[in-house]
Amino acid sequence: MSFLVSVWQWFADPSHWSGPEGVPQRLLEHVQLSAESVAVGALIALPIGIALGHYGRFGNLAINISNVGRAIPSFGLLVIAFQAWGLGDLPIIVTLAALAIPPMVTNSYVALSEVDPDIKEAARAMGYRELTQLLRVELPLAVPLVMAGIRTSAVQVVATMTLAAIIAGGGFGRFVIDGIAQQNYQMMFAGALLVALLAIATELSLSGVERLLVPQGLRLLRTQGRGRAIIAKVA
Amino acid sequence: MIRKLSSGWLLAALAAFVVVATACGSSTPGTTSKGSLIVAGFNFPESSILAEIYGQALAHDGYSITYKLNLGTRQVVSTAIESGKIDLYPGYAASELEFYNKQAGEATSDPAATTAKLNSHLKPLNLVALTPSAAVDKNAFAVPQAIADQYHLTKLSDLVPIANKLTLGAGPECKTNAFCLPGLQRVYGLQFKAFKTLDTDGPATRAAFKSGAIQVGLVFTTDADLKGLGLVVLDDDKNLTAADNVLPILRTAVATEEAKTVLNNIDAKLTTADLIAMIDKVANQHQDADAVATAWLQQHNYSS
Repeated sequence: MSFLVSVWQWFADPSHWSGPEGVPQRLLEHVQLSAESVAVGALIALPIGIALGHYGRFGNLAINISNVGRAIPSFGLLVIAFQAWGLGDLPIIVTLAALAIPPMVTNSYVALSEVDPDIKEAARAMGYRELTQLLRVELPLAVPLVMAGIRTSAVQVVATMTLAAIIAGGGFGRFVIDGIAQQNYQMMFAGALLVALLAIATELSLSGVERLLVPQGLRLLRTQGRGRAIIAKVA
Repeated sequence: MIRKLSSGWLLAALAAFVVVATACGSSTPGTTSKGSLIVAGFNFPESSILAEIYGQALAHDGYSITYKLNLGTRQVVSTAIESGKIDLYPGYAASELEFYNKQAGEATSDPAATTAKLNSHLKPLNLVALTPSAAVDKNAFAVPQAIADQYHLTKLSDLVPIANKLTLGAGPECKTNAFCLPGLQRVYGLQFKAFKTLDTDGPATRAAFKSGAIQVGLVFTTDADLKGLGLVVLDDDKNLTAADNVLPILRTAVATEEAKTVLNNIDAKLTTADLIAMIDKVANQHQDADAVATAWLQQHNYSS
């Protein structure tokens, strides 16, 4: 109990809230590197997943390669990337982007391949060209699953970004690693808590974004809680 | 039924293992086992070598030894020995003292006084530190040759006029360790432009020197590769760094007179030059720590 009180005192100390080692600066580093990594991952993963899902081909291959990707431990990759690129943000972004890619490939592939074939046919019959059909009919319908993939990736990246401190990076991991080294367990615990809170905040804010992006028709359906048969009618 | 069968098999296997293990133990020629000890080391090569030397010397005397090398940082190793999971590890007088006294700054450059102080902190934990060896692995501060030439640096006090242009890099503990950043400020009056948190003389520090992210970095005096990296160690002209002489830390329960004699004999023979040569073999020539330790023991008449 007294330990939790001392953690609270750590948070209450104004000196931990300013300067280059304060919580705001570490938050900025953590969020910035995480966002960059997810963005790089998305630029690679989403086009692949969406294209494969749209054509409904090589799905197993994509998912299997993604799953192999999931099995690569981020810590090992981080150390190898550090050997390759040395000090700086690059090895961190490479590692975290690699972590971010698999869920986004799998989810966007499934999202696009699950779009009702009747809807695709109707869109074609109405004279949509392929790209327009993809962008204006299939993608909006696929948004919930695609966004779920991005959300999963982002939460994993935010949690794993803690490792960056091992190769002299910034972020909340600094509190954890420095706390262990300096026998300052209040700081270590505070760092772990901050990472957990940031991961939860990421999850919540991305669900909010997802809700905004889902087309109104789908939203209506969701609140009515009915099955896929009706999606076809509304769309 | 299946459960019962498999546990029966497990028991049989265990029994067989015990029989084999005792058979192996008793087959050691000429000696009977004096008890078993678990020897651990920190997660850097020098500690593995020292743990092997202590362990093999005790094995030579008839103990059966289990090794837990590269166990972790001082935090991990100290927790293990306090809870009795390990019996012995090679420590460094001043660093152990400053760890167990929670960085109170009590260590001095006198090994005997530092060890006495260390033992006063170890006693309540049922641990004991033996006589420190002459071998020392001190922390030191190094600069790249180009910087040393540019500002004519040979000793730490030469840094005073230019420290505010330089970035110091070291492990996270340096910031609060009385003999690192606070010590540089207190003893030498050095105010660096910035402090970069890296690792304690590991790959991150080397990478930071290479990329120019730091100009001054913490290294170990026993590093054999400093010259090769183009680094110059600055002389500690005001005796900031404390006595980090090698010594074994044991649980009091296993610190018999016999074990103490074996370990003290080793510490009496070990020198800093030996350490540097052995670390060079392990860290730079990629030889195994146990083979390097065996070779040292053979040189000192511990035939195997």
